[in-house]
Amino acid sequence: MRSRFYLSLLLISGLILIIFIALAFYREISPEWKRYQADYRELLIKKARDDASRKKAAALKIEHQQIYLESLKRVDRCMYCHIGVDNPLMADAPVPFKQHGGDYLKNHPIDKFGCTVCHYGQGRATNKKEAHGIIPVTQFDYPISYRLKTPPPRVEYPGAGRDTHWDFPIIPLKYIQSSCAQCHDLEFLNNKGADRVVKGERLFREKGCRGCHKLNGVGGDLGKALDVVGSQPYAYFPMRNVKGEKTIYAWHRQHFIDPREVAPESEMKVNVTEQEADYLTTYVLSLRAEEMPRSYRRIRDMRFQERPGDGESLYKMFCIACHTTGKDSVFDEIFNRTIPAIMNPAFLKTVDNKHLKRIIEEGRSGTQMTAWKASAAGLTDGEIDKIIEFITRQRPKSKPEPFSFTRFRADIKHGEDLYRVRCALCHGNKGQGGEGSLGLNLRNPVVQEADPEFLAITVRDGRAGTPMPPFGKNGVGLSDQDIADVVSYVKTLSKKK
Amino acid sequence: MEGFNRRFKDTAMIFSLILLSVPFLLFDYAPGAGDMADLGKNVYEERCMICHGSKGDGKGLVGIMKRAEKSGRILDVRPRDLTVGVFRFRSTPTGCTPTDADLMQLLDRGITRSFMPSHKELPLEEKKAVIQYIKTFSSIWKESEPCKPIPVKKPKWVGSASSIEKGRKIYKEMKCWECHGEDGRGRGPKSDRLKDDWGNPILPFNFTSGALKRGTSPEDVYITFTTGLDGTGMPSYEDSLKEEDRWHLVSYTLKLMGRVK
Repeated sequence: MRSRFYLSLLLISGLILIIFIALAFYREISPEWKRYQADYRELLIKKARDDASRKKAAALKIEHQQIYLESLKRVDRCMYCHIGVDNPLMADAPVPFKQHGGDYLKNHPIDKFGCTVCHYGQGRATNKKEAHGIIPVTQFDYPISYRLKTPPPRVEYPGAGRDTHWDFPIIPLKYIQSSCAQCHDLEFLNNKGADRVVKGERLFREKGCRGCHKLNGVGGDLGKALDVVGSQPYAYFPMRNVKGEKTIYAWHRQHFIDPREVAPESEMKVNVTEQEADYLTTYVLSLRAEEMPRSYRRIRDMRFQERPGDGESLYKMFCIACHTTGKDSVFDEIFNRTIPAIMNPAFLKTVDNKHLKRIIEEGRSGTQMTAWKASAAGLTDGEIDKIIEFITRQRPKSKPEPFSFTRFRADIKHGEDLYRVRCALCHGNKGQGGEGSLGLNLRNPVVQEADPEFLAITVRDGRAGTPMPPFGKNGVGLSDQDIADVVSYVKTLSKKK
Repeated sequence: MEGFNRRFKDTAMIFSLILLSVPFLLFDYAPGAGDMADLGKNVYEERCMICHGSKGDGKGLVGIMKRAEKSGRILDVRPRDLTVGVFRFRSTPTGCTPTDADLMQLLDRGITRSFMPSHKELPLEEKKAVIQYIKTFSSIWKESEPCKPIPVKKPKWVGSASSIEKGRKIYKEMKCWECHGEDGRGRGPKSDRLKDDWGNPILPFNFTSGALKRGTSPEDVYITFTTGLDGTGMPSYEDSLKEEDRWHLVSYTLKLMGRVK
C-alpha cells in the first residue's frame, strides 16, 4: 500500500516537472516577437499590390534583427517587433508595425541613430515588458493579430504601472522632445516645432528654478543640483507617493504640480499649470549625463544656455521663486519665515548698494537666503551688480533723515529691556526670527555687521508697506536715545546662545 | 452679669473684626476698578496696540500682514477689529461674547498662522487686566448677557473606524466639501469666493496642514463645529447636527489631518 502511494507521488511530480520543462521549451522557441513578425508578414502580403511583391513578402524570414551603433556602443533590437518602422507601406498600420511618424528618420537614419538614443528603453531586450521597462496597466496579452478575428482577452498585469528595474524606461511621447535637446540647440528646435522643450527651458529660466538648484555650478543650494537629473536612475526618486504609473516621468510631472504631495518635506516653491508641468518635465529630462559624440551633435555646448546678460532676466532666474515681485513682504508657510520685500521703496530709500551687495554675496545664514558670491552659488561680480541695478531701479530720490548714531552713548542694558517688550514678539527672544513669527532673523552676520545708522533709521522710520512699524516719534514714540540703545543691543544678539 | 458682659464683649469683638475685614477682603479680591483699568491700558498699549491700534479697531502701526499658503496663494492677515464685538474663538453659542477663560486661553496660546503671539509669560494680574480693558472697546460687552460655555465631553469612540465612516458621510451631506474640498485641503468649489464679515477674502481651513488656529485637540475641533467661527463663513452646527454627529465629524477631520489611520 505504502510503496504504491509513494510511487504515484513520484510519478505525478515527475510528470509536473516534465510539463514545466515542455512549457519552458515552448516559450523559448516561440517568443513574443516571432508572432509579431509572422503577423507583419501577413500584413505585408495583404498590402501587396502585385504578385511579385506578394511573393517577396511571403518569403520574408522570421529572424533576429538588430542595429549595432559602434560609436555609441549601443545595440537596439526594437525592430524585433517594430519591424515596419521604416516601411512607407505601413504608414497607417497599427502599432507596433506602424511606420515612424514625421520625417525624423530621413534626417536621423536608423542605422546611424538606432532607437534608444531618443526613445530610451532597454535596447537589448526582445519582449515588450522588458524593452519598454514599464509594466503596462492593462493591455492585450498579445496586442494585435490578423489571424484572430476577435480581439484576445484583456490581461491585467500584476504590478502594473511599475518599472521592471530598468533605469531608463521608454519616454512617453509627450516628453520625447527632451531627447532632441541632446544634440540640437533650443533656437533650432523652436523653429523645427520642438517647442515643448523650448517652452520648458523658458519656464525653467523665468520661474527662478536656479534660485535653489544648481546647474553647471551656478544656482542656489536649497535644492539638489539638476545637471544630470534626466539621467538619474529610478532609485533616485522616492516613488511611494506617486499616483498612477510609478515612473520617473510621472514623478517629475507630479512633483512640479505639487512637490509636497510627492516629497512631503520639500520646500520647493512652484506654481505651474498641468501643461507647464509637462513642459518643465520635458526640459529637466533633457539634462542628461551622457554626452553625445561630436558627430551626432549640431551645437557646441548643447545643454546649457548662456546666462542672460540683463538684470531683469537674472532676477527672474535666481531671485523670483522666493521674492516674486519683490513688492510685498510675505510670511511664507513653507519656509516658516518672512520673505522680505526687496523692492519696497522704503527699504531702497534706506539701504545703500554696498549693503545690498553684501546681502546678496553673503546670503543670510540661518535663513533660506543663499550666498550668491562666485565661490558659493556662482554669480559673478558683474551679474550681482546687474541684479542690484534691477532691484533699485525704482529707488526714491529722497534720502531719509539722518540719525547720526555716533552722537549717542548707548545703554545696552536699557536696550535689552526695550527689545524684550518691543521687538521680541516678532523677532524672537534671541533675534532668531522665523519659526512661525513675523520678524526677520537679526542674528545673521549681514545684520550684525550692518551700519548701525542703517539699523537705527529702520527702527525709527519702520518699513512702510511691510509689518515693521516705525518706532520713532511718528510711531510708537521711542526717543532717539532709546533707538540707539536697542540697536546697540541688537548688535550683541549673535553672541547670545 | 459679669459672665454675660464678658461673652458680649467677645462676641462684639469677633463680629466687629469680621465686619471690618470685609472691605479689606473685597479690596484684596478685586483691586480698585481704576487701578485695574490703568493696568489693563498700560499692558494693552505696550503689547497689543502696535497691531490692534489705540482704539482697538485693528488699525495699528503694523498694519496688514501677508501670508503665503503652501499652495502659493497669498492672503492678507489683519489684526482683529475689537470694536465690532464679533469673536471667532468662543466656548459659547454663536452670537455670544466669549468668556474670560476663552480670552485667557487665546492670550496664552496665541493664534498660530495669524501672527498673534503667545503672551503666556505675562503675570496673571496683567492678563486679567488687559482682558477687562479689551472689553471697553465694544458696547456689546455691556449690552449682552454673558452666555454659558457649551459643555464638551468627548465620547470614547471618537477616532474609531466606524465613526470616521459616519463622519465621512456627514462631511458629504452637510456640504463641508464645498469650501474645505473633498480631500480636506481647503480647495472646494466655493473656496475662491469666501469673504469674512469685514469683506476681506479668507481661506477655508486646509486639514492636511493640521495647524488649527484654535487648538488641535479633538475637543477644540468639536467646539468649533458647535460654536461656529463668528465673522467667517464657518457656521455653527449646534442646531443642524446632533451632538453625536458632530463627534463623528470630528473623527473624520482627525482622519483628514492624518492623526488617526
